[in-house]
Amino acid sequence: MEMNSLPNGNSTPSTPPVPTTTSPPSSKVGQLAESLRLEHQFLRVPFEHYKKTIRANHRVVEKEMSSVISGVSDAADRDDLSSDEAVNHLNSLVSRLQGLKRKLEEGSRVEHLQAQRCRARLDHLESADAENLSEWNNMRLKRILVDYMLRMSYYDTAVKLAESSNIQDLVDIDVFQEAKKVIDALQNKEVAPALAWCADNKSRLKKSRSKFEFQLRLQEFVELVRAENNLRAITYARKYLAPWGSTHMKELQRVFVTLAYKSTTECATYKVLFEPTQWDHLVDLFKQEFCKLYGMTLEPLLNIYLQAGLSALKTPYCYEDDCTKEDPLSQESFRKLALPLPYSKQHHSKLVCYITKELMDTENPPQVLPNGYVYSTKALEEMAKKNDGKITCPRTGFVCNYKDLVKAYIS
Amino acid sequence: MELNTIKDAFDRVVKKQKLSSSKSHEVIDHVGQEIEQALAKFLSTHDSTSSIDQKSILAELKLKLNAISPVQQFEGSQKELNQNLSKYPKLLERSFNPDISKAYRNVDFDFHIVNQIIANHFYQQGLFDLGDSIIYEAGEHEATVLKSQFLEMYQILESMRVKNLEPALNWVSANREKLKQNGSHLELKLHSLQYMEILQNGTQADALNYAKTYLAPFAFLYKEEIMKLMGCLAFRGRLASSPYSELMSPTHWEKSTDELIQQFCRLLGQSCKSPLSVAITAGFEGLPTLLKLANVMAAKKQEWQAMKQLPVPVELSKEYQFHSIFVCPVSRDQGSEENPPMLMPCLHVLCKQSIMKLSKSSTRTFKCPYCPAEASVAQCRQLYF
Repeated sequence: MEMNSLPNGNSTPSTPPVPTTTSPPSSKVGQLAESLRLEHQFLRVPFEHYKKTIRANHRVVEKEMSSVISGVSDAADRDDLSSDEAVNHLNSLVSRLQGLKRKLEEGSRVEHLQAQRCRARLDHLESADAENLSEWNNMRLKRILVDYMLRMSYYDTAVKLAESSNIQDLVDIDVFQEAKKVIDALQNKEVAPALAWCADNKSRLKKSRSKFEFQLRLQEFVELVRAENNLRAITYARKYLAPWGSTHMKELQRVFVTLAYKSTTECATYKVLFEPTQWDHLVDLFKQEFCKLYGMTLEPLLNIYLQAGLSALKTPYCYEDDCTKEDPLSQESFRKLALPLPYSKQHHSKLVCYITKELMDTENPPQVLPNGYVYSTKALEEMAKKNDGKITCPRTGFVCNYKDLVKAYIS
Repeated sequence: MELNTIKDAFDRVVKKQKLSSSKSHEVIDHVGQEIEQALAKFLSTHDSTSSIDQKSILAELKLKLNAISPVQQFEGSQKELNQNLSKYPKLLERSFNPDISKAYRNVDFDFHIVNQIIANHFYQQGLFDLGDSIIYEAGEHEATVLKSQFLEMYQILESMRVKNLEPALNWVSANREKLKQNGSHLELKLHSLQYMEILQNGTQADALNYAKTYLAPFAFLYKEEIMKLMGCLAFRGRLASSPYSELMSPTHWEKSTDELIQQFCRLLGQSCKSPLSVAITAGFEGLPTLLKLANVMAAKKQEWQAMKQLPVPVELSKEYQFHSIFVCPVSRDQGSEENPPMLMPCLHVLCKQSIMKLSKSSTRTFKCPYCPAEASVAQCRQLYF
């Protein structure tokens, strides 16, 4: 360090220089921490995905291994096995084990990628600080937009946005690929992929007492009735619906009645069961179950944040004609969205200068013109400087001198 | 936030998973070896095969495999992994807010409007591909979007980037009156940039000509600026070391670009910041408070879904303050047309209703609640923020 840059030449060089970087105010840091605590889904979803892969891989190993063991047992217990047969049998077991190893390696590769994704997200959360916040929030908005698009099934746009912003690791496109198959099928009135999905996630769906599989079965039954295939409908009901009888008797009975009617029934209670909107309902139900399973919110993140933001911004002034364009609520679309939301509340005055749009506080106090209009000191000083001490009220055209102004005390 | 704890917990999961997977490999290899050994025995005794030998080899193999008991081995390593797999989500739930939809009001959020807002957001950012893509995929062909307008803006900006000011100047002269109303000096700034370009890269005569045609009309209003610009003529060729070197700075281009964006958006009736981005980032700041509030209200069994106004303030940063809101320090009411803020002679401000109360409906003078001064209603006057 150069000595002449120190204010005191005689000060001992061992005194550490006072740090010049001002740390951001603690309230900002606290606010950021609070805001980051909202990111549960961001970490949870890739982890659930990872967990799922681990479990599935493990099941494959267990299953294959048991069947190899029992293959040996069977061979050992048989008396009629020729030598060649035994050799062939053992050879086939060996190649089966080799196949299992290959599968396991492939599985490990996937697990590794998913673990990396979990890490990438932890690192991304860690990278947020008060300095890069606006950039970080920009990224956050993009993530939220991708989430919205995936939930709304706008997959192509979601992929484009993720790729163009290079945030593939920070969004859940691959998780939603799984959902897409089921949703597409349901929209084509096919239940098989949805049922397969239920089977895959059986234990967790059971834990949350999900009715989704039951609803799928009911729909299949209704489709059989629609096709007037009553006998098959009854066999189907015996096999797949009866197990639900203990818990969902009422709904079961209601659906059984359709056997007596036909799909053309005008009876409102049963007519709705035949309506095509039932399939849309199944799609919605699936989306809910899917989100629950992965620890996602049921609503798109975009809607949640948008509601929160609009509630915090909403004031009666937003709906006036002269609302400033900087306010999102000056736009008809945002106004409509905010209509059912509550107004924000203030405990203390917050005054914004009409001219500079800056907050009027103790550093930039409000000043009153003789006509009662109030502007910030900064704006009025500047105006006076430019116009030889003359002040013109921009809203009324009233002209006065700078010295005619008085400061107002707002507490 | 204790991200480090979470990271450590995650590392433990990965470690256990690796352990379990290498265990699986080990067991598979082991079993494979035993079977291959049995096979080798078969082959060596192949010629003199007696069914007794054969049986004993298989029985031995069976015994050995049972001794390895692979399935139990898997279970052992899997158990530890499973513990960690279920611990980690619980840690996440504790460290984060596990359900941020608690403050969500269950209203039909019209997704057509949301899609339109998103498309406009993309267009405003110059991401025309993405805007088109969502319009197409969501089938929002009826949506009112500002694509062509923003396309024009980005064409102008793109030209400016390669120092072609023609489209910008065309736009400015087409909107001259409106820009003047906004108090914008964009036209002069653009012409100055053009003039400086000519001065540096063209002939002196060209520069002089340009100044005569395009700068002269500004001479009355912007005397000082024009003087500086004309002064540059004297230093042509060595401007960098002249008193006017500052005029060559690229920041002038940046500033003019920013102002063009601002004015363009303003004339479109838009903010130059994406409104979606503003509303969402306000949500990032406001949601934690709203969630706390929702929790408190749920505990008190108060209704979240129907209230007309939030019961507590949600503090947002300065940049989200778009309106003047006066809150009477006495009654805590928000100022309104019926109950406007009033300035007392001592320069303190209360709302009209508070003043009426203090003055017993203007029948007597009263003391300011904040200082010893006395006031009468007639001395108070309404303020307009």
